[in-house]
Amino acid sequence: MSNGRETRIVDAFLTLTDTLVHDFDSLDMLTMLCERCVELLDVEAAGVILTDGTGGLSVAAASSERTRLLEVFAVAIDAGPCVECINTGQAVISEDLTTPAAREHWPRYAPGALDAGFRSTHALPMRLRDEVIGVLTLLHTDRHTLTESDARLGQALADAATIGLLHERAVHQAWTVQEQLQGALNSRIIIEQAKGVLAAQGNISPDDAFTILRSHARSHGLRLTELARDVTERSVDLTSVVRPAL
Amino acid sequence: MSACDGADADDASGSSVIDGVDAGVRRDRLIVLIGGDDTGPSSSGTVGQSDGRTAGGGPGELVARLRRVCSVAVAEIGVDGAGITVMGSLDGGLNGARDQLAATDGLARRLEDLQLTAGEGPCLDAYRRGRPVLVDDLAAESSRWLGFGPEAVLVGAAALFSLPLQVGAIRLGTLDLHRGTPGELSVGQLADALTLASLATEVLLELAKQPDHAVGDDAGREADIAAVPLAGWLPDVHADVHVAAGMLSVRDGGDVTAALLRLRAHAFAHGQPLHQVARRVITRDLVLDGVEKPAQSGPRADHDAPDGPPAAGPENEEP
Repeated sequence: MSNGRETRIVDAFLTLTDTLVHDFDSLDMLTMLCERCVELLDVEAAGVILTDGTGGLSVAAASSERTRLLEVFAVAIDAGPCVECINTGQAVISEDLTTPAAREHWPRYAPGALDAGFRSTHALPMRLRDEVIGVLTLLHTDRHTLTESDARLGQALADAATIGLLHERAVHQAWTVQEQLQGALNSRIIIEQAKGVLAAQGNISPDDAFTILRSHARSHGLRLTELARDVTERSVDLTSVVRPAL
Repeated sequence: MSACDGADADDASGSSVIDGVDAGVRRDRLIVLIGGDDTGPSSSGTVGQSDGRTAGGGPGELVARLRRVCSVAVAEIGVDGAGITVMGSLDGGLNGARDQLAATDGLARRLEDLQLTAGEGPCLDAYRRGRPVLVDDLAAESSRWLGFGPEAVLVGAAALFSLPLQVGAIRLGTLDLHRGTPGELSVGQLADALTLASLATEVLLELAKQPDHAVGDDAGREADIAAVPLAGWLPDVHADVHVAAGMLSVRDGGDVTAALLRLRAHAFAHGQPLHQVARRVITRDLVLDGVEKPAQSGPRADHDAPDGPPAAGPENEEP
């Protein structure tokens, strides 16, 4: 392991668990988890899917807001490895989605993922003791299996993010896992709404709107979700967040 | 997915099983119990089936439906009482007023009064923070709300569960459950409570759409409005729909609540999947104009972009 990589791994864990900073935002943290996975694990894309307490699952964060990628995760939820991973609590891996076995197993997911350019999938459980609260899904464009050490690193990142996600539980001891998950999933909806507002305001794509939203939150020391709410409710000057494209 | 809601049939709806019950099955069962799905089999329980079927879909019926959400909560979740409080403004209709639209018992009303007086409590926290507040043992945590907690224990509340009624930044109110004995909700009970909260949110969105938002004393005056069956559509809403609602709110100069309702109304009226309508709004292939805005010149057809195809169909799924 090179020193550079080691440093980046250490940084990733510090970021994911640095939950006491004043502008910590669980959605921002989960997005960082996905980005770090892409950097460190030699995968093309990553996404976090969370359970919603009623049996429903939703995409909470992804390494990119590209529509096609989000679509792949949506199908992974609906008819792919995520439900299996949640229900079994075990990693669900398909190193090659082109095989007849994979196509038979996931008749909707396998063609959908391949169509979007992804050939292999790793779904890693996000566990809190005996409860599975979500899935970290890793996608690769080639036939691919994580090395044993990378798989362990992926699981460790997922575990660190789980702790980060539930951090407020430690701060406010009375809060339950479900309170946290519900809050995170609603935050995701706020961010989608804010992406739309900024996209229309600035005549830009929703993906670019997300980037702008996030960098504005960072540079102003604001929580991503709070800024998104202000944008959606127009309690912040939209032109200060995004300049309309000319 | 209930039978009456074909418009959203192919939105993403992945689910795992909680406490032996799939999310969709749980939702459909609760819809039938609330009696909002007139096409479904009638409820075998005794929970208010009669009062809502006779009224139309106006505010009176919608408020009656909220009351049935509360009585179903009591019957199904094993709590002693339930209430629904709206806060903020329903698209300007309530003008910032806070109002308990439904309550199954005196204690639910008393707890609401206490929170109003103290200016704090689980219901307000759930609303402000946008997440449930689940208090298994209020006596043990009464210091969490110094003004409200001890009083609430005195009047007989031992456990309180407040669930926000919200869609992202759209905050409507809370569903508040109470028990006279301490103890947490089981996983299945919480799943029922969250599902009922999403159904109550759907009813409140309908209420926000009503022409004059008449509630309380005015309830029932709009009873001639056609009934809109409870569909349980919110949990299946695709992420694109929220992006599209945000965009539409800017183009309309309105709020996200109105925009979401317009998307939904368009999808329903044209028999198109909601997320498909959303995609076309995002790619600017579809401009909704004047739909569901009674104050303007009435419903008009949507205008497609000059190079766009006719309104129906999946042609514009990918930009």
